[in-house]
Amino acid sequence: MNRIQIEISLGVIFILLTGGIILWYGINEEDRMAEFTRGQAASAIEVGAALYETNCKDCHGPQGEGVPGLCPPLNDKYFFTERVDEVGWSGTIEDYIVATVSSGRLTSTRPDRYAGQGRPAMPPWAESYGGPLREDQIRNIAAFIMNWQATAPDRSQEPVMAGPPVGTDITVELPEGNPALGEGLATTKGCAGCHISQAIGPGWAASGSVPGVGARAETRYSAADYTGQATSAQQYLLESIVNPNAYVVEGYAANLMPQNYGETLTAQEAADLIAYMLSLK
Amino acid sequence: MNRTLDFQDLRKKAIQALDNRVRIITAGLGLNELRAVMRGDAPTEKPNPRYKVHTTSFLFHIRPRYYEKGSTIFAHTFRLGFFTSFFFFVELLTGLILMIYYTPSPAEAYDSILNLMSNVPFGKMLRDIHRLGAEGMVIFTVLHMLRTFLTGSYKKERSFTWLTGVVLLGVTLLLSFSGYLLPWDQLAYWAVTIGTSMAEAAPLFGNEANLLLRGAPDIGAGGLLRFYLLHVVLLPLAAILVISIHYYKVSREHGISLPASMEEGDVPAEVKKNARQRIDFIPDLFTHEVFLVSLGLFAMVAGVTLLGYSAPLETIANPQVTPLDTKAPWYFWWLQGMLKLGDKSLMGIILPTILVLLLVGVPYIDRNPYRSLYKRPFAVGIGILSVLVLVVLSYMGLPQYGIQTPAATRIIQDLVPEEGVGPLRGVPYEQLSAGIYEVGESVPRDLCPSLDFGCPDLTAVFREFSERVNFAATQEDLQPFERLPDAQAVMVIEDWQTDLKKITLRINWNDVITGDAKSYEKHIFLHRERVHE
Repeated sequence: MNRIQIEISLGVIFILLTGGIILWYGINEEDRMAEFTRGQAASAIEVGAALYETNCKDCHGPQGEGVPGLCPPLNDKYFFTERVDEVGWSGTIEDYIVATVSSGRLTSTRPDRYAGQGRPAMPPWAESYGGPLREDQIRNIAAFIMNWQATAPDRSQEPVMAGPPVGTDITVELPEGNPALGEGLATTKGCAGCHISQAIGPGWAASGSVPGVGARAETRYSAADYTGQATSAQQYLLESIVNPNAYVVEGYAANLMPQNYGETLTAQEAADLIAYMLSLK
Repeated sequence: MNRTLDFQDLRKKAIQALDNRVRIITAGLGLNELRAVMRGDAPTEKPNPRYKVHTTSFLFHIRPRYYEKGSTIFAHTFRLGFFTSFFFFVELLTGLILMIYYTPSPAEAYDSILNLMSNVPFGKMLRDIHRLGAEGMVIFTVLHMLRTFLTGSYKKERSFTWLTGVVLLGVTLLLSFSGYLLPWDQLAYWAVTIGTSMAEAAPLFGNEANLLLRGAPDIGAGGLLRFYLLHVVLLPLAAILVISIHYYKVSREHGISLPASMEEGDVPAEVKKNARQRIDFIPDLFTHEVFLVSLGLFAMVAGVTLLGYSAPLETIANPQVTPLDTKAPWYFWWLQGMLKLGDKSLMGIILPTILVLLLVGVPYIDRNPYRSLYKRPFAVGIGILSVLVLVVLSYMGLPQYGIQTPAATRIIQDLVPEEGVGPLRGVPYEQLSAGIYEVGESVPRDLCPSLDFGCPDLTAVFREFSERVNFAATQEDLQPFERLPDAQAVMVIEDWQTDLKKITLRINWNDVITGDAKSYEKHIFLHRERVHE
């Protein structure tokens, strides 16, 4: 064989091999595309989880359990099966999540149970509505929330209160408070979302030259500009919890805080919380 | 009386008709001639019909009738220029198909790549080939230039061809770089942000140059559209024009140079004569080129399938998050290395401009008439030195060089890089057993004895974490930023959702200088079905 014949033969072999590889690749294409699609859904959930952690967990809870009185749970059966019908949404639950996260909520649809942050009850998150997130990021958050559907617990029963509500009378005699229990209540009752993790309301912890909420309460009720009825630090804190508009700290708007803690907290719980707050100097 | 059919006559007529048709298609080669060409036989007719093709067919008209035998020696050219243009045509074809599925807008671009990968049969293969071809084109352009320099083929009548070659090097780099941005992922966005920020360093009009490239102070919709149009219209047109000029000079004017050993000095007359012997384009060179093309196609297809070359795709571009380790495309690492050495204007604009001018001026600066390696030690020395300097500068351009990342950040970033897989994400999902794992003096043999087969991969990652933290905690002769005195480190794995785990890596330590308590932590989420690239 001369050079030309060798090259023609080798060339033919290469072309056949290339064709064979492409054929084999083509046979596996359906599976590869399906796997890529699954992987894409998985990474959307991963990205959504991280975004949820930085943006949503303070109000809706780290595991989507919600905060009573503030923000509704996103991980229970009711949310996935009935919420869409309740608000009369015509699309899917995933679309509903995307739409709600994008545009936020001007007012709560259930103000008696989940008042949100006031007005707007939930801020808009999409860039197109003045929020910080891109459309694809919101779709990822929705994918993460949708991943709770399979394990969503049934919480149709209202949580039972351990005793009668504390009411809005701030002169009431409170039982002895336990600051350790109060610390736990700060997260389960939704205080931490605005007063500890983020500064939506006045921060509780001391920072820089500003003392903690316990120290501030000691002096606040006797200050000249104070508009409430309290005559002790304890009463001042109780008033701020059950009747937050009696006195609003300078720099913060009225109506930001839910007005119904007088009905959802027991006297013991209020006492524990106040004991915890007084310990923050 | 029935006329009998004359089959002999019919056959002759049919062959005649077929022969005519074939001659029309092949611009003059008949059936017998084609057969002779394939067999490597001598021409069957006179005058040689194989030459006629070069006048009647456009595509053969732009190819030479013959090469001189000396210039076809493999070890003289290594077919580098041929493969550079081969890659260019591969890029044109794959690029045209990719354009069907691509939308040049920040809101759509990344999704269109995902759609290409998940919803278009052979979409991933096309993208991989396009990317591999781009790398190949850059590599072969540089090698082709190096070969031309070492064989001294830029001298005398070939000096203008060298100039067009330098222009083509620039066009090739720009083509590759402008394509970099189009997938709109983090890799693309930040590499191009770095690249265009160099334009800013230009004296006098730096700000304007930057604006012109990016379309806005930051890369956005305007910048993406500009890079897209550069990539698919302006630069390919420029490349086609300059490649045509470059090739015309080679094929019509001075040909490929002969090896200096067959031309220069005391070369026996018969060697000279032999070197100048004509090798016809048809059939010898043509078959050779078809062979090279089939070899090239095979290599590329095998590269993206059997060898697993895959075009990278990171997470979607996020202007708010600068990745810890940003780097330019590899062929600009040397520039990044230079930028670490001094002033941005001097190192990023003025020196590179001088380098390009030197490259253009090579044929005019080098007045040495000889082409043999041995007769121009100075030029060859400078050539080799330049390559070494580029390699060293490229190394210095890597993010690992000369940038002081605090130890805690570095350790965690190495285990869970922001982009790509990294050791921890590579651990099989089944091994991620929930728990709190504290770094101590020694690492247990197996972190999760409750699992049937243990978790060897997770244990290996945890061991690496422990060793690096312990090293930074105990070695006192390290630089302050590399130390973690009194370090306490922990890895927490939590079951987060269906098929989703949350992993936290945290390091607490006391600052070397102030003694303050410091902490660095990172959370990642891992899903069972994530794709391991």
